[in-house]
Order: sequence, then C-alpha cells, then structure tokens
Amino acid sequence: MNSGARALGAEQGSLFDTVPELLGAASRARAPSAPKAGASIPFVQPYSASAETPARPYAVPESLPAMRERLLNTARTRVLFLVFAFAAFALLAIVQIAWLGMDGSARPNRPHAGSLVPPRGEIVDRNGAPLAVAYPAYSLYFYPQAMDGTGTNPLVRDPADLARELKAIFPDMDQEAVAAKLAAGKGGFLRQRILPEEANEVWALGEVALQSPAILDRHYPQGRLASHVIGGVADDGETQTGTFGMEQALDKQLSDPDLRATPSALSIDVRVQGALEDEMNRGMKLADADGAAGVVLDVDTGEVIAMASLPDFDPNRVAQEDAANTTNRVTFLRGELGSVFKPVTVAAALDAGEITDLTAVWDASPVETGGKVFEDYEDKGSRLTIPEALAYSSNTVTMRVAGKVGGKQLHKVWLDLGLNRPVDIEISGTSKPFFPKAPWSDMTTKIAAYGHGFNVTPLHLANAYAAMVNGGIMRPATLKKVEPGQAVPGTRVFKASTSQKMRQLLRLVAKHGTGRNANAAATGFRVGGKTGSAEKLINGRYSSTRIIATFAAAFPMDRPRYVVVVALDEPKVTHAMAGRTAYFNAAPIVGNLIRRAGPMLGVRPDNTRDVDVSDLEYLLKVKR
Amino acid sequence: MTIASRKRQIVWIVALVLGLAVFAALTLRVHMVRNDVLRADITIVALKKQKQLLETEFQARASQHQLARWNRVDLGFVAPRADQYLDGRKQLAMLGQPVAPGAPSPIRVASLDAGEGGAFAQREMVSPISGKPITLASLDAPEGAGDVFADAFGDFLVEASPIRQAKAQTGPVLLAESVE
Repeated sequence: MNSGARALGAEQGSLFDTVPELLGAASRARAPSAPKAGASIPFVQPYSASAETPARPYAVPESLPAMRERLLNTARTRVLFLVFAFAAFALLAIVQIAWLGMDGSARPNRPHAGSLVPPRGEIVDRNGAPLAVAYPAYSLYFYPQAMDGTGTNPLVRDPADLARELKAIFPDMDQEAVAAKLAAGKGGFLRQRILPEEANEVWALGEVALQSPAILDRHYPQGRLASHVIGGVADDGETQTGTFGMEQALDKQLSDPDLRATPSALSIDVRVQGALEDEMNRGMKLADADGAAGVVLDVDTGEVIAMASLPDFDPNRVAQEDAANTTNRVTFLRGELGSVFKPVTVAAALDAGEITDLTAVWDASPVETGGKVFEDYEDKGSRLTIPEALAYSSNTVTMRVAGKVGGKQLHKVWLDLGLNRPVDIEISGTSKPFFPKAPWSDMTTKIAAYGHGFNVTPLHLANAYAAMVNGGIMRPATLKKVEPGQAVPGTRVFKASTSQKMRQLLRLVAKHGTGRNANAAATGFRVGGKTGSAEKLINGRYSSTRIIATFAAAFPMDRPRYVVVVALDEPKVTHAMAGRTAYFNAAPIVGNLIRRAGPMLGVRPDNTRDVDVSDLEYLLKVKR
Repeated sequence: MTIASRKRQIVWIVALVLGLAVFAALTLRVHMVRNDVLRADITIVALKKQKQLLETEFQARASQHQLARWNRVDLGFVAPRADQYLDGRKQLAMLGQPVAPGAPSPIRVASLDAGEGGAFAQREMVSPISGKPITLASLDAPEGAGDVFADAFGDFLVEASPIRQAKAQTGPVLLAESVE
C-alpha cells in the first residue's frame, strides 16, 4: 500500500529511509478506508497516480523524469520541514523540563502562601502558646486621592464638619488638629488602632477619603503576662525593632525573612507564669508591698520557667504612668537579700570540710567583729546545731561558721556562684552587683555569711540555690527553651554530697523552721527553702520597718527540679499579715504557687515520699 | 493535483486544526484548573488569616490573668490535694467497689440519655410515689385547649414547666410532645 513511498526511498538512496516508514505508519492507519493502495501520501500522489490512472490532457507540460524530480524534491522539503518542526518542539520541551528541573526559581505553586509569614516572627512559650504575634489592627487613614484621583477635592463635606463628626466617634480626638489636617488635603494616619465598630462608624460617614486599612501590628495576646520578659518593640511605620526584653534579645531572629516563619520558643510556661503573677499580686496586696519579684527556675537546665516583676505594665499600650514599671526587678533591682544566703554559707562550710558533723553544737552568743556586736534577731538559746541555726535563722552561728571557713574560701564560693557580676541572661537590663573587693576582712566575711554587705538580684539568688540543690552544678539562666539533652554542662561549685546534705537541711527549715507556711500551703510537694528579711539601707542606716522579704525554695526535695524565689519590697504589717518578715508574706506566696504550678510542671504531690531527714529531724524537736 | 489528493490535504489540515483546537482547549482547561487552585489557595490563605485573627481574640479573652480573675470571682477552683491523686488503675478501680454495709449512701449525680429513641426517651412518665403512669392535667383538657395554651405561653411554658423530658431540644419539638 505504501509501495510508492517505499519505492521512492529505495530509488533515492537511504537519505530518508525512516521517513517513509513514518509516513507509512500514518497511512496504514487509514488504509482500510483508502480507496487505492499507495494513495494515502498526498505529496507522492501525482507520481503514483499517474502510473495507475489515465493522465489528464493538460497535466503533462514537462517530461516525466523532470516532473518526478521536482515532485520528489517537494516531498523531501516537506518531510524535512516536518522533521525539523518535530525536533524543534521536542527540543523546546526538553529545554523547558530541564529549566524547570534545575532552576529553583520556577513559578511557585502557592504564590500567596508567603503572605502568611508575619513581618516579625512570633514569640511563643515553651508549649507553643503565643506571647507576641502580628495582629492586623484597623487604623484611620486619610487618602485624599481616593475621591477623584487628583486629591484636589478630597472630601464631600466641610473639613470642620467632618472633624466634628469624627470627634463624636473618637471623643479623645483633637478636633482642631484633625480639621486642619483634613483641610490641608495631605494624606496620612489620623489615628492608629481603631476598633472594628469605630471603623464601621467612620465608613458610615460616607467619606471615600477616610479609609481604615488593617495594618499588621505587634500584639501581645496575654496582655500584662510576662511583660518584662517579652519586652516591647518600636514601630517606625516600616519596621519593628525590639527595644527591650526578649523582643530585643531575639531581634535578629525575629526580623530575619528566612527565620521569622518559625516562632521563637521561650523557656517560659504561660500557665506557671500566670500562677506566679496571680499569687504575687495577691500576696503583694495582702502585705501592702511596694513591689515584688519572682522567678521559677529549672535547676537542671537553667531555664526560667516564669519570671515576674510587679508592678507590671501592659505591653499593648505602654502608658506614660507605666514607664517606671518597665524595670525588671528580677534581673535589675539589687539589694541585700539577707538570711537566704545562710544555707549557701553552710554549703560552703560543708564543702570545705569545716562542718563534718551536723549534730555538733555551735556557740550562739553574740559575735563581736570590726568593733561591732552582732546578735540573733530572736534568742533561741546559746547553743545551737546547724539545722537549728538554719531553722531559727541564727546570725551568730552562721557568722562563726563563716569565720571557720575563712574569707578567702567564702569569697571563692561567692565568685563561683557569679554573685560579683551581672547575671547571665539574654535580656538586657541586668545590673552589676555591689560586691566587696577581695581580700575580705573578718567582718566582711561574717556579714556576707548572712547575706549582707553585697547587693545582688533575685535571679542571682535563684541561680545559687539551683547550684546548691541540683548536685552542685552552676549553670547560667536562660530564657530560651532548651531542648532535652541540650543543657549547658555548667561548672561544679559544690560536691554532690554537699548538695545532698543541703536538700535535707532546706527541707528541715521548710518543715519546722521559718518556711513552715510554704510547706503547709504545698503539702505533698516536699518543699525546702529559707526565708530572708533584710532591712533596707536608707541613707546609710538600716531601717527596721523597710525590709526586703525573700523566700527561696526548691521542690520536690527528694529530687529537686525547680527553684522558686519570691521577694517582696517593703511589705507592711496589715490586717491580713501579722508581721512583715518573709515568714508571713513571701513564704505563703511560694507555697501557694507550688501547689498551683507543681502539677503543671510534672511534679505530683505525694504524701508518702520525701527526702530522708530522719537523722537530723530529732535535733529540732529537742529543747536544749 | 487530483481531487483525491486535495481531499487528503484537507483531511490533513482538518486533523491539524482539530489537534490544535484540542491542544488549545486543553491548555485553557489547564489554566482554568490552575486558576481554580490559585483561587482556592487565596481562600485558604484568607481563611488562615481569619483563623489567626480569631485565635488571637480567643487568646486575648482567655488570657491567664482573665482566667485567674474568673476563677477567683465565679468558680473558686483550687489545685487538687495530694490525696486527690490516684496512683493507677487499681486505685481507680477501688473507687467503684460496692459500698460496705452501714456506709452512707453514695452521692448520685443526674445522668442523661440523650440518644435518639433511648430507653429514657421512651419511658412513660410515672409518679414518683405510686409508680403509676401519670398524665399531665393540661393534657386532659378538651381538644385544642392545649394549642390555645401553648400559643399563649409558647416557649415560656416549655422553659418553666418542671414536667418535661430532659432532652436537648427546644421550641416546637418539645411543645409538640407535651401537648400530644
């Protein structure tokens, strides 16, 4: 059937051997309906047709071979053209596939997904609860060109009338200033952050030039919660820059276009933070205190689980009257924290081998050093054991212990605990402690032993307690979430055996000593801790009524996991508080917090478990 | 050229045109689908944004401070005590043990069978004293009186009437049942 084409190919050599096959394939498909064999190739038709059908009288002006040559050429040209066309198409397709495969910038499948990436990264807590997000807030914008495209006649009504109507919607608006702005015909924001219903009311005015675009703004859904930790941003209309807190510490990460799609996780747990702030607020009001600082620290990783400073501020609307409250009392306000450092002194003595027997009896009579006499706040007898000295918060015994340890060794421990330098944490707004220079005199050593003569922040104290109970390892505090197994190794400050003894001693103080209120409020959580009520130094004299009341605790004492420190600034004797020391105000706050937050932190209250204190407990029941 | 060859040429051209037409139609179709996908994507992005907005609103309304305030004023929940925790399945199962003789009768809480056509729904209303089925006085009234009554008091009757099945239904359904 395609014999004609084949014959041609055969006669003209093998130049187009394959082409007739190609054409043949096409013709084969139509073969059944083709009227004659070999008639399905149009451009070879004249030749084969002339062989089989009678030639028409007008069709033979040239010789047969010449005609055959011409037709053959035509056929070849056409075939050539077709082949080139196919090849070009194939090449084009291959090039495009290669281009798509190799070039990463091929057209994205989801061109709009990018608009979900916030202009500034989100900040979330350790469990993913948002703390800072980009929120589209309506604003009132004057756009004069909206009316006629030129801006010559932007408003329907008189600017003064319109300003009056706007004043009815926004009562605190400066009517004259707005009227002047509208009259000037220059575009710009009339108001940032308006409510949706206000936007509707403005829309109802029917002025085309008054628009309410939704602009992505920084928003803190938890309001005042952890405001000191999160910090704030400055918005210049184009970009947002962190000004303090973690917004500043994480600024690079939050504004990086490649990184901001993933939220930055803090170590904070909003539930614990909420409980801490709630309990501190309550305790602060009951004791009529000026301020309060509180921190919950993971002893094994150094993560800050909660950090609160009161009074606080609303980061969504930093008002002028709140400006003073942006100071973070946990990291910035330093003071002599007092007796809470007594356990640290005892730990230093245990570590140095100066206390080998906790049942040994120490002299508790007044101590004279540097020409001054120091005595106990409350006389508990002239002979006390170390557990008693801690439980009753004896200054004299602690001073004698420090005397035995020596200024050099105590100074070294204080340095190891980082009490001489600003606390290690991501946020700015830390302060350098006031710290006496070495060598320490006998008096400096002895008053440092019970937390005087040096000023540190509550976070310094929390770090020291963490090192004391976690087995003796000092780690820097962090506000970034630490993945399991990623905690910094830290440096050893105390022996593990010392840490073990301290767990017992602190538990005893909370069970029978000045921390009883905390233990009572958090039954089953095995709380251990020590109070401190330090008189503030006012104009060079210690005031007996203005104190800083601190309670530093750890729980559960059989395997300490968290340290809690709460400090109240100038608590007072009120109807609710029979005294102003930490026993009355700070300790119950910590107890209530542990009861609320313990289960959230994975610590189950259990009355059947505890650290074994049986070898020491009897000392506190014996009346000497 | 013969008529036959011309015919074939026309057939070829028609085939080519047809092919092109199918190609064009297919291309249009592909673009249509792609545009549909894009439109769906835009909708998804818009919905996600809306969701973010609502989530933020929920978070703001249910902030820790707000929850604490509510709890203090309205609910008064406190953290559970150590003895309120259970150690495992065994301890949990102990709670379901039959009461010992002489023990105070356990506190029963109301339960509700809200299932469709459940036993509770089909049971007849009985007198708590005699155990006999009772009929509402209003249902003994002459034909149509219930309708008049129901029309007059409507939903108020349904809400206020102490004798009704505790089913999660409102309005007409309950009304129809009570006047049947």
